[in-house]
Amino acid sequence: MNPIDPRVHQALDGEISPDSLPPELRRQVERLEGAAALLARVPELGVERRVMASISRPAPTRVRRLTRWLVTPHSLVLRVRPLWSVALAAVAVLFAIIPVRETGPRLGQEEGIAQFVARFPGAQSVAVVGSFNDWAEGSIPMEDQDHDGVWRASVVLPAGTHEYMFVVDGERWVADPLAGRYVEDDFGRENSLLIVRPAHR
Amino acid sequence: MNRRARTRCGAALLLGLVTGLMPVPRALPAQSVRARLEGRVPATSIPVIDSLIREAGREGLPTDLLVQKAIEGGAKHVSGERIVKAVELNIDQLRRAQALLVSAGDTPPVTPSEVAAVVWARKRGLDSMTVTQIVSAIPDERRGAALHAVADLVAHHFPADSAADLILAAVRQGMHGGRLLDVSYAAVQELQRGHSHSEALAMVQHQLPNVPAQPTPPKSSLERARRPLAASHGEPATP
Repeated sequence: MNPIDPRVHQALDGEISPDSLPPELRRQVERLEGAAALLARVPELGVERRVMASISRPAPTRVRRLTRWLVTPHSLVLRVRPLWSVALAAVAVLFAIIPVRETGPRLGQEEGIAQFVARFPGAQSVAVVGSFNDWAEGSIPMEDQDHDGVWRASVVLPAGTHEYMFVVDGERWVADPLAGRYVEDDFGRENSLLIVRPAHR
Repeated sequence: MNRRARTRCGAALLLGLVTGLMPVPRALPAQSVRARLEGRVPATSIPVIDSLIREAGREGLPTDLLVQKAIEGGAKHVSGERIVKAVELNIDQLRRAQALLVSAGDTPPVTPSEVAAVVWARKRGLDSMTVTQIVSAIPDERRGAALHAVADLVAHHFPADSAADLILAAVRQGMHGGRLLDVSYAAVQELQRGHSHSEALAMVQHQLPNVPAQPTPPKSSLERARRPLAASHGEPATP
């Protein structure tokens, strides 16, 4: 390291005028003054200042801490007992193999679902009667849960062909307008015809 | 008690047991018919209806359909006289159906479900020639669905012979049961899309046997489904 000429020190301290120095020393003084000006513009990088700035910063929010925890890598120690692991794997395999049982009634091989839908605005009650319930009123009441005049019923019936009608308000017998299949009932009217397909095909 | 007396006593007991366990032919069905009609059909008509149904049973006709018809009449508050007439009419229809099946090659006694299938087909407007064509071509219990499928098409004004040809073509492709109803449903769908009857038949024939299935009830409706309180006691019907 080259020692700085004492006259340069004096010039920097203002004890002598830089003009009184030889040109080489004068340029050295100018460079050092420029460097000092540059250092004055650079922010303070001292450790103490940085620590103090960190302490005075407001505490991070919970979300921020959670986010930081989530994105920060963590070491995880997993201790496994082989016997328990095998049992757990067996249970998982069983769940995968055994099909999830459907809710609702269990249907026989020769049974199917019949859905009845009919629109009877203003009706107080609607029931389905047919060869499947000995034409007995009341055994299959239909429901109009949202009171929009559309009555519905879903029942499990033996697979096959059935004749049926709707009984409105306990007295009016009506064929199902949506049935699509009709046969004469031999009493001067028509019955709706329903073909129930087995649910297990 | 000596040995001979013990033997006699044992034999009598055995005979009594065997006699008691032996079924009484026809007496039980007759009783059950009356029991089913009582309170549901005008009391004065019950003996006549009972007699008609027993006679039909002796001919090998499916009696449950007749009992159902009588109960239906009672539920609809029809007079006893009209119920008797309806039962007589149904017996006549069953006899004709039985005769048609025998003439088509079935060996008597034909099954009740077969007879019922033919009766429904005839009631739905299928002529006897078409029914005979179907019954002759399908020599097993898959006829019920086939007859309904043809009747569905005829109800939508498809020519009976073309409808029968389509359904028999589906049977030859291995389709049966409810899948035959899918065939008629598909043809009706094509009709509703604006195609002519002949176009609809041709299109579905081209798709065989990969005709789309009819939409099935959603699972939510299955959860709500329940069995009727009074189930039918009869023999299984078609298809």
